[in-house]
Amino acid sequence: MALTLTCPVCGKRNGYEFRYGGEEKGPRPDEAGITPRSWCEYVHMNQCVAGIQKEWWCHKDGCGVWFTTHRDTTCNLEVDKPEAQS
Amino acid sequence: MKRLEKLSTLRINPAKTLHFKYKNKNLKGLSGDTVATALYASGIRIFGRSLKYHRPRGLYSLDGESSNTCMQVNGIPNVCAETTLLADGMEVKAQNVAGSPETDLKGFMDKLDWAMPAGFYYRTLHKPARIWPIALKQVRKAAGLGKISAEFQMPGKYDEIYPKADVCVIGGGPAGMSAALAAAENGLRVILLETRPWLGGFFDYRTAQNGAGLSLSQSVRQAAEQLEQNSNVRIFTQTPVVGVYNNNLVTAFQKGCETDYFDERYLEIRATSVVVATGCSERPLLFENNERPGVMQIGCAHRLAQTYGLLPGKQAVFSIGHDLGLEAALDLFDLGLEVLCVADIREDGQDPALIEGLQQRNIPFLRGWVATRAHGNKTLHKVTLATIPGTLRKDFSCDLLVASAGMTPLTGPLSLAQAKLAFEPYTGFFIPRQLPAKIQVAGRLLGLNHPATIEASGRLAGTLAAGDCGVSVESRLKEAREKLNQLPGPDQGSKLVTAPVQGRKTFICFDEDTTVKNVKQALAKGFDATELIKRFTAAGTGPGQGGIPGHNLPLFVAQYHGDIKATAMPTTVRAPLVPTYIATYAGSNHDMCKRTPVHDSQKAAGGVIRRIGVWKRARYFSKDFSCRAEIENVRKNVGLLDASTLGKFRLWGPDALNALQRVYASDMSRITNGKVKYSAMCNDDACIIDDGVVVKRAENDYYFTTSTARAGATVEWIRYHTRYDGWNFHMVNLTDAFGVINMAGPNARKVLAKVTDADVSDDAFPYAAYREFMIKDTIPVRSMRLGFVGELSFELHVPSSYMQALWDLLTEAGKEFGIRHFGLEAQNVLRMEKAHLIIGSESEQRTTLHDVGLGFLWSRDKSEEKTVGAVALRQTENQEARLKLVGFKMEDPSRVPKDGSIIVDNRIRGYVCIARHSFALQEPVGLALVDAPLAGEGTRLQIYEDECNGQHLYATVVPTPFYDPEGKRIRM
Ligand SMILES: [Zn+2]
Repeated sequence: MALTLTCPVCGKRNGYEFRYGGEEKGPRPDEAGITPRSWCEYVHMNQCVAGIQKEWWCHKDGCGVWFTTHRDTTCNLEVDKPEAQS
Repeated sequence: MKRLEKLSTLRINPAKTLHFKYKNKNLKGLSGDTVATALYASGIRIFGRSLKYHRPRGLYSLDGESSNTCMQVNGIPNVCAETTLLADGMEVKAQNVAGSPETDLKGFMDKLDWAMPAGFYYRTLHKPARIWPIALKQVRKAAGLGKISAEFQMPGKYDEIYPKADVCVIGGGPAGMSAALAAAENGLRVILLETRPWLGGFFDYRTAQNGAGLSLSQSVRQAAEQLEQNSNVRIFTQTPVVGVYNNNLVTAFQKGCETDYFDERYLEIRATSVVVATGCSERPLLFENNERPGVMQIGCAHRLAQTYGLLPGKQAVFSIGHDLGLEAALDLFDLGLEVLCVADIREDGQDPALIEGLQQRNIPFLRGWVATRAHGNKTLHKVTLATIPGTLRKDFSCDLLVASAGMTPLTGPLSLAQAKLAFEPYTGFFIPRQLPAKIQVAGRLLGLNHPATIEASGRLAGTLAAGDCGVSVESRLKEAREKLNQLPGPDQGSKLVTAPVQGRKTFICFDEDTTVKNVKQALAKGFDATELIKRFTAAGTGPGQGGIPGHNLPLFVAQYHGDIKATAMPTTVRAPLVPTYIATYAGSNHDMCKRTPVHDSQKAAGGVIRRIGVWKRARYFSKDFSCRAEIENVRKNVGLLDASTLGKFRLWGPDALNALQRVYASDMSRITNGKVKYSAMCNDDACIIDDGVVVKRAENDYYFTTSTARAGATVEWIRYHTRYDGWNFHMVNLTDAFGVINMAGPNARKVLAKVTDADVSDDAFPYAAYREFMIKDTIPVRSMRLGFVGELSFELHVPSSYMQALWDLLTEAGKEFGIRHFGLEAQNVLRMEKAHLIIGSESEQRTTLHDVGLGFLWSRDKSEEKTVGAVALRQTENQEARLKLVGFKMEDPSRVPKDGSIIVDNRIRGYVCIARHSFALQEPVGLALVDAPLAGEGTRLQIYEDECNGQHLYATVVPTPFYDPEGKRIRM
């Protein structure tokens, strides 16, 4: 409830306006050579970091953009300068 | 009771009488009274009975610290009478009484305390097991205070607001007001939250001088006026804080006054910096019968007189541990109270001026003495005082005992904000040792007591908060710090925890009837931590939210362990800090929904409107919910359906085709001009999430539809799955910009030909074609020949502003061909006869494209497109043990199973998605998702319907579609 996020278009906004899009896992893998297990890993498995993680959010009730940001999962707060802290 | 009407500190209006009902009697109060003070003024001394022992309880505090004065007001149970302003016509009832509060038939419970030791319901009543159900019933009956009926409807209007502020100040006493002013003077926007109906805190009712020729009351009221004039400060009174979260999010609820449009509203405040200036309440004095009506706290007695004009008793004894108690004794004496004796727990440290005042008035003063017992069956008539070791005793006959051990800082908001609190021996307070970022503290909760110090600490906190907001405040900070340093620091707190008593009737928590003896029992059982004792004895778990035991319990436990400093730890505080109506959290409950452009004319035509998702839609057009006439008219003549809720999108740009290829299962490069392409979207598990049609209107410019339910999520979905690609394309959601009419039935072409010059013959506009033309030379339409309901049909997409005109034109033109509206239920039956599916009806979260028989839509030759779902479609293509969509007919044609009925043998094997009587086939048919082994044609299905009493229904799997399997009618 206390979460705020910084949309690259609209700036810092109430967390209610956003939809979570999962951890940053990189682009969709090539289909060639994919096994059910490796596909499941990509789609469903997560790191679930206790700490700062890079993740996707959609400003669904605003401009609609998808963007990545860093959030500290232990306090549910967006991290300003993740490079300095990690 | 006669009121003291001349006092300058009054907050009541003696000229304005309010009438209310209590115990079937008509009573009077004054404007400004709370329910509690109005009852007190009417001579009521017993407000209710306690939870377990049914002990009489009276007015002890005025800020809702305990459940003593929880009453039923206007039918709402558990309303705190102390914090609820009286309104004209209120109906007030006592709670937890059999009979009346004065003669409660369950009063004998008080004698049974030996049978209810601490944690008795955890430790007894479960052996032997068979007594538990009986015991449970009795405990349930006894549990809780207020009663509520199942039919109860919460009255009132509720709302919510989400304000933003630079600085949010919690507490509108002298420290909070100074902080707010200091922040506002730095040009910041300030929100000030105060629980009481006015600002001023513990200065508001005091006649003591501030040293500058004014009383504290006068000075703080002047300051309040000044603050109210300040346009940077938004003041909320009657607004207790209920939660503080990280990121400085503060939640509160505000009680409306007469002129407000709401009864209560929820506030969610985002502030850059928060100042906590909540001040103190009083630490209850622990002695025998310490909650007997007639015993009350200092502030309660003092404010009854100065704020409400009510002298709290006739003859009083004071047993206090703080200078505020001495000040109250002098003040109340001067107002006419007979003060028999003032006992102060402290041996020394009192303000000499106050001692002198007692001497001048010949009030006996005992240092190092304390009340040990209140006497009186229902209300107080005698008090025993003793020295702290209990060696000397004195009795006084009186009707009022003002009792208080000392002060308790109100640290709730600080604890919620994760501030680290530690016991500080000089003040005896839990003081914040480590504050979270951008949280400041000011005033009495730091142990400060001197009026000037309190105001100066407020100024400092307000200036620090301004610094948090990025204002350059260095010189002002220096100034504020210097000023504060020149003033007196914190006062020494009183150390006494309990009077010298056994503690059988010494209540540490009023709400849960927890005694000192109960706490000792818990300690003897080995519960050594306060947190555990709280749970075992339930102390602090009632409506007062720890207001009474919050400070005493940890002190008592630490004293028991013999080391207060090392072991005193406050128990964990959780939101909400004060009891709140769930109705307030629910807010206004305004039903936000959308209407189609022809909503009103459908309603006028007899449409039965239902809320479906975000839309209001016409479900039926007759009272016959089988919709026979609507259905048969589509099959025989022609019908009009408002399909405006379909998702409609434009997608264009150089990479438009790439985007479509990514999300649609089919090969979208094969879309041809003038033709519609039907396809479906899956998720990465191959489960079907949407179906619709796509047309190409120009090079790299597509128009497509989605199901109604997916309209809101589609743009987000496509952007998500293309987020790494950097493709150049755009999307616009046109769902609300375009209306859609589906005109279906054998006469559809005749109607359309009447209103357009375009060639709509089957040759010019065949099945599955897309055309754009004008109607009446005015209305531009995008038209598709589709067959969802299984007849010749034209789907007409027009700008929403033209919807009404087109609807009226077609209705008029179709008269000679028997046109009539049809609703969603008719469409549902019509499409079911064709076995056309609706996502969400014939599919659920685990249903793949293959399961519903649409696997043919999937193009397996476009793996470089990385289509969403393609990998899993390949992996699940030949998967066994899945639910498959089948059609069925009933063995007994007189029975139609309910939607959602399960298909069973010795376990659940699937469920009925939809089943209806088909007028075209003259028998019931349906669609079901069943285990693959049951999906073969001719398989007998056993259907279990709710409340069928073991009488299963039987059906047979048959091929689909049921109606017009060759599809001739859609190609007419
Ligand atoms: Zn945005």
